[in-house]
Amino acid sequence: MTDNDVIVAEGVVKTYDDSGVPVHAIRGIDYTLAKGEFTAIIGPSGSGKTTFLNVLAGLDTPTEGEVWLSGKLISDMSGKELSDFRRDHIGFIFQAYNLFPVLTAEENVEYVMLLQGIPPGERHERVMAILKKVGIAEYAGRLPMQLSGGQQQRVAVARAMVSRPSLVIADEPTANLDSKTSGALLDMMRRLNEETGVTFLFSTHDEIVMKRARKIVVLRDGKIDGKASLEDC
Amino acid sequence: MLLKLAWRNVFRQKRRTILTLLTMTGGFFLSSLSIGWMDGSYSSIIMFFTNNRTGQIQVHCKGYLQSPSIYSTVNDYQAAGVFLDSIPGVRAWAPRIYSGALLAVRPRGAGSGNVFTNSAAASVIGIDPVMEEAASGFSSQIESGEMLSSSAADTSYSATGQIILGKELSIILEASAGDSLVMLTQAADGSSADRMYVIRGIVSTGNANIDRNTCYITLSDAQILFALQGKVHEIAVMTGSLGAVDELTAKISAGLSGENLETDSWKTFAREFYNGMKADEASLKVMIFVIVLVAAMGVLNTILMMVLERRREFGVMKAIGTRPGFIVRMIVLEANIMGIISVIAGGILSTAGLLFLSEHGFAMDPPLDYGGTVFREMIASITPECYWIPAICVIITASTVSFLPALKAAHTKAAKTLRTV
Repeated sequence: MTDNDVIVAEGVVKTYDDSGVPVHAIRGIDYTLAKGEFTAIIGPSGSGKTTFLNVLAGLDTPTEGEVWLSGKLISDMSGKELSDFRRDHIGFIFQAYNLFPVLTAEENVEYVMLLQGIPPGERHERVMAILKKVGIAEYAGRLPMQLSGGQQQRVAVARAMVSRPSLVIADEPTANLDSKTSGALLDMMRRLNEETGVTFLFSTHDEIVMKRARKIVVLRDGKIDGKASLEDC
Repeated sequence: MLLKLAWRNVFRQKRRTILTLLTMTGGFFLSSLSIGWMDGSYSSIIMFFTNNRTGQIQVHCKGYLQSPSIYSTVNDYQAAGVFLDSIPGVRAWAPRIYSGALLAVRPRGAGSGNVFTNSAAASVIGIDPVMEEAASGFSSQIESGEMLSSSAADTSYSATGQIILGKELSIILEASAGDSLVMLTQAADGSSADRMYVIRGIVSTGNANIDRNTCYITLSDAQILFALQGKVHEIAVMTGSLGAVDELTAKISAGLSGENLETDSWKTFAREFYNGMKADEASLKVMIFVIVLVAAMGVLNTILMMVLERRREFGVMKAIGTRPGFIVRMIVLEANIMGIISVIAGGILSTAGLLFLSEHGFAMDPPLDYGGTVFREMIASITPECYWIPAICVIITASTVSFLPALKAAHTKAAKTLRTV
């Protein structure tokens, strides 16, 4: 692993055995993601995209192999260490936005900084700055249900970015959005990537996302398929 | 933020929260009312029982309570009385003599000869008419005839004495006010004694067991009859309130300790009565436990539903770095917010209910017979226990019941939840 790498995955295998029948979601992946990249992981349904992202983010432990994130071996971390590590180093954007419905946009974004123990004054300043950057500062006081899908996803982007992580992981971020909103969201994320240097890693089916990604990794049957083309997906 | 999150989460599902709040508030209300009702009933019963008969505190010769004997006397009751009068909180005191006798009544229409065929054994209580009236309001219990009077005749053995019979005893003897009876007994000096009495009145103390075998003569008469001049067996002490009894008992006991006397509260000399009340208290606890259990089921159901519905949210919280402890605290706090609201609402409702019941009470129909004492009306009392016991029960229940679901939520597997929900 070099100083320029955000993620290094070596021989990662993930097998689920929930129902007694082993399901091989990831079948041995070696992967390196460099700092500042804007990369999309694509592949057909069931190819292991989400599982791979979960393993890389430390949400799931690999059955075999190692995952290094920002120089730390996360596959061996305890639950508490992982929790703190994710809080400080990884931002998440989910397909279904997953904002807390009882908190306003501002409070949703502020939440992670609260976990980090950042003082209230600084929290407010950073929340308003990031909301301005994602273009929804005027909706700061609204609850998620009072926002459109695109606006909610912008709040989710702001929540992911506000803690100044080294990596933002987005699982199908545009799956619930129309093409125009998806395009605008991706443009905004790409701009943030360029301005802040934060690394973005997506899983997607969406051509709009693929077109805006600087790199594309194709997953098929739990493995990186080096020969696949965009048309195959 | 934790409080804000918890507060807003409580009101996410308004209908369900309101139902849960109603359950918890209802639990508080019923527990509070039960306690107030029971406290009020106990206080009524105790005050009735002690004011009418026993007093709240009694002074005896040492050992008298364990083994009552005509010889175990308070020898200088006047001196003890002076001491009692000096203690604030002592409302009144009454000296008494206890003994037994055989009573015989001449049946009506039997002429003026000495034909005393209706007889019964009875407890004889010597009372000071004035002091007894001040202490127990004895005259108010007289159903027919009139109260004993302190008269010179009491000290004249040759004259006819005056006596009051318990109502049931008068029925057994077929006697009524104005009739004559003969009392046969033995005095403390071993001599046998007999005396002629005119029945001045019939008393109904409210306790049929006592009225079945008790008669009353004046203290001075009893002292002569039983050869106990200047002595009594008991000093019954009346206090202003039940709450002061233990403290006053200790004070009196300390003040009379050198006199070969012992001082006991009603909890000791009416131990069976006291134990009966304690047993009732145990049944109250069971009732409160059942009420709390029902409320707990309601809270548990709500918390479980809440946790189940929000699994994805907990998954997201975990994913973005929330520690399990935060989630546990949040859910327990949510349950406690509902608990606190219930305590406030329940407190207001209970106050209204208790105020009503303490003013109006409930008529007991049929009347409640408690150890022979009949109670026709019960009222509730408002005590701190009416509030803090249900409040603690509600808060502890909310915390306990929410803890396990909170732990379950805190250990949500983020990846699994986000994948499957």
